[in-house]
Amino acid sequence: MLKRLGSLSRVLKSRSDFEQGMTEELRFHIEQYKDELVRSGVSPQEAARRARIEFGSVGSVEEECREARGLRLFDELGRQLRHAVRLLSKTPKFTATALVTLAVCLGANLTIFAVVDAILLRPLPFPDAGRLVTIYNSYPKAGVDRDGSSTANYYERRGTIPAFAGVAIYTYGTAVVGATGSTELEKIAGVSPDFFSTLGMSPSMGRSFTDEETSFQTNKEVILTDPYWRKYFAADPHVIGRQLRVNGESNTVVGVLPAGFRFLSSSARLYFPYSSSAADRSSSERHSGGNSKFMIARLKPGATLEQAQAQIDAQNRALEANDPMAKMVADAGFRSVVVPLHADHVAAVRPVLLWMQAGAFALLLIGAVNVTNLLLIRASGRAKEIAVRRALGASRWHVVSESMVETTLLTLTGGLLGLGAGTFGIRLLSMLAVDRLPLGSQIAVDSRLAAIAVLGSAVMGLVLAVPIAWFNLRGQLNSAIQSEARGGTPSRAAQSLRHAFIVAQIALAAVLLTGAGLLGASLEHAMAVSPGFRPDHVLSAQISTNYPDWQARLAFNHRLLTDLASQPGVVAAGAVNNLPLSGDSGKSAATAVGHVPQPGESPRGNYSYGVDGDYFAAMGFTLLDGRFLTADDSRRSTRVCVVDDDFARYYWPHTSALGQRLFLGAEATTDSQAFTVVGVVGAVKQAGLTDLTAQGAVYYPYALRTDPRLSIVVRTSLPPESLGPTLQKLVRQIDPDLPVNDIRPMDARIADSLVAQRSPALLAGIFSLIAVLLVAVGIYGVLSYAVAQRRREIGVRMALGATPGQIRSQFLGVALRLLVAGTILGAVGAWLTGRALQTFLFQVPPLDLVILAGAVGIIGVVSLVACLLPSQRATRMSPVDALADL
Amino acid sequence: MAKPAELLPGTLDMLILKAVSLKPLHGYGVLQRIQQISGNALEIPQGSLYPALYRLEHQQLIAAEWGVSDNNRRAKYYNLTAAGRRRLREETAGWNRLASAIGAALSTTPEEV
Repeated sequence: MLKRLGSLSRVLKSRSDFEQGMTEELRFHIEQYKDELVRSGVSPQEAARRARIEFGSVGSVEEECREARGLRLFDELGRQLRHAVRLLSKTPKFTATALVTLAVCLGANLTIFAVVDAILLRPLPFPDAGRLVTIYNSYPKAGVDRDGSSTANYYERRGTIPAFAGVAIYTYGTAVVGATGSTELEKIAGVSPDFFSTLGMSPSMGRSFTDEETSFQTNKEVILTDPYWRKYFAADPHVIGRQLRVNGESNTVVGVLPAGFRFLSSSARLYFPYSSSAADRSSSERHSGGNSKFMIARLKPGATLEQAQAQIDAQNRALEANDPMAKMVADAGFRSVVVPLHADHVAAVRPVLLWMQAGAFALLLIGAVNVTNLLLIRASGRAKEIAVRRALGASRWHVVSESMVETTLLTLTGGLLGLGAGTFGIRLLSMLAVDRLPLGSQIAVDSRLAAIAVLGSAVMGLVLAVPIAWFNLRGQLNSAIQSEARGGTPSRAAQSLRHAFIVAQIALAAVLLTGAGLLGASLEHAMAVSPGFRPDHVLSAQISTNYPDWQARLAFNHRLLTDLASQPGVVAAGAVNNLPLSGDSGKSAATAVGHVPQPGESPRGNYSYGVDGDYFAAMGFTLLDGRFLTADDSRRSTRVCVVDDDFARYYWPHTSALGQRLFLGAEATTDSQAFTVVGVVGAVKQAGLTDLTAQGAVYYPYALRTDPRLSIVVRTSLPPESLGPTLQKLVRQIDPDLPVNDIRPMDARIADSLVAQRSPALLAGIFSLIAVLLVAVGIYGVLSYAVAQRRREIGVRMALGATPGQIRSQFLGVALRLLVAGTILGAVGAWLTGRALQTFLFQVPPLDLVILAGAVGIIGVVSLVACLLPSQRATRMSPVDALADL
Repeated sequence: MAKPAELLPGTLDMLILKAVSLKPLHGYGVLQRIQQISGNALEIPQGSLYPALYRLEHQQLIAAEWGVSDNNRRAKYYNLTAAGRRRLREETAGWNRLASAIGAALSTTPEEV
């Protein structure tokens, strides 16, 4: 078999050589024979004649030779292909409709698939990436599901967990890089020495970090990513040992990473040693992950996730024996969780992406049904021809393969067009912030996607051929010719099939439309949620101060906020370590003095902030009791704080929170460390607008909440954007090296926090719009055909006195029946979809009758318009013309 | 001269293999050689020769090569491949067994029954 295939491929490769050689060989034979006849005394003309006669038909010999070489199938395919092209170009309207439908539907699927593939399917770009895991600490009973891993965890687990071949810890950050006057803010990562080896790779030049480089005194080394090396070191091959100024200090380049290296979704361009102090590594810091330090590990070959989890659990249990916080963390439900790195990284977007793919697939089904219906209609028009050809000996296989060639030609062309549409679609998706999805920036049209497009289209072509082939084969010569002659009713089975398809189409479109409606309503509800503060007229920005001591930080804050407050149009200016709704609010513990935990009550994580200047006034918080924190509190470092009403209600449900005392952290320490509550503010949304858990928040003076991050907020009476340049200018006046980033009005930030709801809703909206259009095209096509089929019947009825209204209502009746059936099915589907979508929906019931009615209404109106046109045409038919065909 | 015998089905391939086993031949040469070695006792319909040649080539029992004929024209020459030689041996043995069996059967006399 292989040999034959090989011979076949050789022959195909030199098909014209083969033909030429065969012709030459046969001609040689005939001439040799002729020459021999001439030599035996026959006249040249007679010899030529006899030679030709004895040889027989050259054409049929050639055909037999081709068949002997296994070429017949290909000739046949070529013939059918030409036939299909001829047929399709004869009906340009049909072909264009089918191709556009296929291109749009396949394009939508390819677009979404490109995303699904890049994010969910492709393994991470590391050797044996399936063995990479991440480990995080979880305190579910304290309301903290994930808290990263701590430095202590890393040093305890290094080399002690038999299931791991390597363990590493990393953190993300920013650094000011470059010489004074030309600094840039760069995204960086701090990684432990075994980070790259755990991933299964090493720098392409130089080396990884060493254990000696992990203390704050000895960590002045840097590893460059390939893009950074090319851009800032002009791809210098002797870059190792060169110096790079980072946060004002000189760092030595020790390595360069391979081109294309990217760890998960990180955009860090510089890697530094993960540094820590002896205190950070001590067991008392075991639970200070704070969701800013993350652990990865590589499973040893043969080791399973379960073994790793069991070993981690066993180690945690053993360590708890001498852990002073053992009881507290046990109450909080503490556990270290081992999960696959890739799956964990994309877990949040996985269901959304799969739903989007399902939506695109529903669209493809609708499109496929449309094309099938159009093809069936065409096949009905050719029923007589096919019946005659079968009677004349065309084989069943021939009829089937003809349908397959035609549908596959259509779908393959549609698939290629769809690939073009997909390229466009992916560009469109980047506007929907798809590159902000985890691993999202790796989405692209490539050979893999093209191969999938071709394969998918070919499979679709074969599937579409099934009903057409069935229709062509079941047509009997007698009935086909008779039904034409009688001009009677069209084939009942074919008609039922077409109608069933239309019903399915309407149902699918109704499901898509209600799904989009539910997502849209959910988005609307989320947008209507008040964040708890007044985000209008507020400009916000991030500043990376890298001052090593707190006095310098506070001095900077003070000067900037004072300068800002004196600008025209500025109402209030404040600073905070971390803006709410920014997506990276971590929770920490606070201990209220006098609060006696009830039996079974676990410690609670709450949001904690450090604020400076007039933060509350600038953000528009509501003051419920007492006073706001002011710039003075920060400068004097008085141990005061403000809590929100969620926090106050939880810890002091019966008394005023004012004057109460609490500790920052999970333990009550000495009295001098306690904070006194001086004010209560209204709760604001912290993690997201749709976040309904009231976790509580404490606001400390910036100086006392030791978090070096800094965001500035300014309330202004002017349009907030207009203040951006002023802010930058003021920062430059204080310190020309400080980059200001992410300058945006606060309400833009809030709108942005809804991107996870907005993009799916928008995509679903686009899908359902296309679906409705396709349904309209489908109904129009089928009804037009029905009218054309029955024109003689209509002619007779009109000649006998039927009114146009009666004719019209006949066709509208058909359409209405299909619509009702489709709607009922669609309502059931919409209800099931709504239930499955429930986790994504915000304050929307699974079956929202208003949305369902709206969806049905839209489909109804569009379908009725689509049937009115052909029905109208039926009533305008002249009986004389219609009957003349008889 | 007796009227040439019709070819038995399936024997043409065997004869072609035999003909090209003696020396590489072009199509017309194969025809002549078969007639020659069969003492003009076999008639081969000219048109049926080429499909057989192409089939044998496709099965890689014979291989073709373009060469120059005696009268200096380009012609396609066939020769036997190793697989063809093996096949010829098998077919010859098979044929001999068949022929002797049929011969023995046909030469049976009443006394031998």
